[in-house]
Amino acid sequence: MQLSISLLEITRAIDSWLNSIFHPHVAFGIELVLAGVAVILLVVAMAVLMVYAERKLAGFMQMRLGPMRVGKYGSMQAIADVMKLLLKECLVPTNSDKMMFKLAPFVVTVVSFMTIVPIAFARGIQLWDINIGVFYITAVSSLSVIGILMAGWSSNNKYSLLGAMRSGAQIVSYELSGGLALIVVVMMSGTLSISGIVQAQADGWWVIKGHIPVIIAFVTFIITSTAELNRAPFDLAEAESELTAGYHTEYSGMQFAMFFLSEYTNMFVLSMVAATVFLGGWMPFHIAGLEGFNHFMDYIPGIVWFFGKTFFILFLIVWFRWTFPRLRIDQLLKLEWKYLLPVSIINVLFAAFIALMGWYL
Amino acid sequence: MSASTIIFYIVSALVLVFGAMSVFTRKIFRAAIYLLFSLIGIAGIYILMNMDFIAALQVLIYVGGIIVLIIFSIFLTHQAGDKLPKPLFKRIVAGASMAAFGLIVVLGVFYKTAFKVTTEAGIDHSARSIGRQMLDYHHHGYVYPFEIVSFLLLAALVGCIVIAVKIQKK
Amino acid sequence: MNSIYQYFRAIWYGFSSLWKGMMLTGHYLVHPKKILTEQYPENRDTLYIPDRFQGEVVLPHDENNEHLCTGCTICEMNCPNGSIKIITQQVVTPEGKKKKELDKWVYHLGLCTFCGQCIDACPQDAIKMSNAFEHSVYDRKVLTKVLNQPGSKLKSAKK
Repeated sequence: MQLSISLLEITRAIDSWLNSIFHPHVAFGIELVLAGVAVILLVVAMAVLMVYAERKLAGFMQMRLGPMRVGKYGSMQAIADVMKLLLKECLVPTNSDKMMFKLAPFVVTVVSFMTIVPIAFARGIQLWDINIGVFYITAVSSLSVIGILMAGWSSNNKYSLLGAMRSGAQIVSYELSGGLALIVVVMMSGTLSISGIVQAQADGWWVIKGHIPVIIAFVTFIITSTAELNRAPFDLAEAESELTAGYHTEYSGMQFAMFFLSEYTNMFVLSMVAATVFLGGWMPFHIAGLEGFNHFMDYIPGIVWFFGKTFFILFLIVWFRWTFPRLRIDQLLKLEWKYLLPVSIINVLFAAFIALMGWYL
Repeated sequence: MSASTIIFYIVSALVLVFGAMSVFTRKIFRAAIYLLFSLIGIAGIYILMNMDFIAALQVLIYVGGIIVLIIFSIFLTHQAGDKLPKPLFKRIVAGASMAAFGLIVVLGVFYKTAFKVTTEAGIDHSARSIGRQMLDYHHHGYVYPFEIVSFLLLAALVGCIVIAVKIQKK
Repeated sequence: MNSIYQYFRAIWYGFSSLWKGMMLTGHYLVHPKKILTEQYPENRDTLYIPDRFQGEVVLPHDENNEHLCTGCTICEMNCPNGSIKIITQQVVTPEGKKKKELDKWVYHLGLCTFCGQCIDACPQDAIKMSNAFEHSVYDRKVLTKVLNQPGSKLKSAKK
C-alpha cells in the first residue's frame, strides 16, 4: 500500500483542474510555465541550502565553525550573500567584447537548467521522459564549455582566458570517461531513458546488482563529474593562487551570481544523474526475501529517497573538495589519459561481457 | 498552419540568420559563436522531426566537440580579438559568385525533385533500432561503414600518440 | 609485467592515501569538540591566548618597582623599524661615581611589527613579549608608551 497522497496525484489534479478551466493548448502552456518556475525555485532553494551546508561542512571538516554571525548559527548567511550580489553593480570592462561578455552568463545558466529536464524526481514526476535521457544530459552539459570559453575570451583578461582554456580542456577530456561510465549502466539496463533506467533498478540498485563493473563506473563517474564541475581538487580553472578567479574574474553582481548558480546547478544535476543511474533514483532500498523490511521501505516516499541519494553524493563531492589538494595540470592529464580512460574502456568491455552473460544479480 | 510548422519556420529562420551572421561578421570569435547557434538550430529541427538521438549527437559532436576545437584554435591565433580588415572588392565578387553558383545548383536540384507525400509510418528512431542497424550486416545495415570509420578513428588516435610521444634519447 | 604491477600499485596507493585524508576530515566532522575557533567578542571572559603569542613588548617590574633594564640600547639598535627609543640619563651614585641609567623606555606600539628581535637581543632579559592583543585605541598618541614605571629603579646586581 502506498501513501494516500503522492506527488503524482497532485500533479494530475492540477492538470485536470487547468484543463477544465482553459483550452487544452492554453493549459499546456500554463503547465510549461509552472514546471519552469518549479524547477527554478527548486534549484535556487537547493543552491541557497547547499551554499550554507557546504560552508558549515567545510568549517567542521577543518576544525572551524563556519558562518556564525548572520542569523542563528549563520543560517541566514547564504541569503545575505544573495542580497549582496543582487545589490552590486554589474561592471563591464571597457575593452571587452561587450555583447559576448553579457551573453556568457545566460548561456551557462540556460545550459545548466536544460540538463534538469529529463530527471525523474519521483514516480511520474519528470518534466520530459525523453527516450535518450542520459545521452541528452551528456550532450547538453557539453555545451556549458562554450559559455565558459565565451566568458573567458570576452573579458579580455589574461587570467580569464587562461582559466577558460584550462576549464575547457579539462571538461572536454573528462567527458570521455564520464560518458563511458554511464554506458556501463546503459548497457546493463538496455535503455537510455531515465525512467527506464530507474525501472530497471526496481529489484536492486545497479551499484549493488552490477557489482564490480558498476562500482568501477560509479567511482569513475564521481571523479569525472567532480572534474567537469571544475571543483576542487580539479579547480585549476579558477585556482585562486594562480588565476585570481579564472574565467569569471571580471564578473560582478548578478552576472557573477549566475555563474555561481549554474555551477551549483551542474553540481546538483550531476549528483542527481549519479543517484539515478547508479543508486536507483527514487527506488527504495529493497532486500530480496525480507518482505516486512521492503514494505517498510516502500512507506518512505520516492522523493525522499531521491533527494537523500542526491544529498549523499553532494556530501561526497563537498568532502572531496575540503580534503584533497589541487592537482597540477600534468597530474590532471595523467589521471584522465593514463588511468581513467584506459580503465573505463576496459571496464566497458568487461561490463558488456557481464551483461551478455547475464551475470549481474 | 499548425504549431509545429510555425516553430519550424522560426527555427529555420534562426539557423539561416545565424549562418549568415557567422559569415558576415568581422570578429572571428563571434563568427564561431554564431556558427554555434546555427548548429543548435539544426539540432532543434532534428528534434522537430522526432529524431532525438540525432539531435543529441548533433549537439554533442558539432557543438560540444567541433565548435570547442574551433574556439581553441581561435584562442591560439594572433590578433584573435581584433576586427578583421574589410575584404577586397575582388574577393567579395569572387565569393558572391561562388555562393550564387551554389545556390543555383541547390535550387535546380530542389525544383527538379518531385517531393511525394507519403502516408507510410515513420521509421523507428529509437536508440535501440539505430544501434541494431549500425551493427546489422543483412539489409539496411551499416556495419561496414561503421567498422571502416572506427578503423579510421583508431588510426587517427594511434597517429596522434605517435606524433605526440617524446622519444627519449639514451 | 612489472610495469603493470606498478600501474595498479599506483592506483591502489592513490586511493588509500586519499581515503586516509578523507578519514581525517571525516573524523573532524563528527568530533565538533575539536573545533579551534574562538567566538571572540562573546567569549572574552573565557578566551585563551597562548603564552607564546607576541602581542606587545613589556618591561616587567618586580614588587619593589625594580626592573632589569640597564639602558644599554642594544634593543633600540636591533629594532628593524625604530619603534624603540631608550632615553638615558647620567646619575651620580652615592659613592660619587657617575653612571648611565635608564630614564625612559619609549615604545611606539604603532610602529612595532612584533618580530621579537629586541627580546632576543637583550643581554639582561629585561623585556618580554606579552600576549595582550586588544590594542585598538581612539587616539594615536596613546600608542606611544613609556614602559618603565615612574620611580622604578634598576634591580641591584645579584647578591
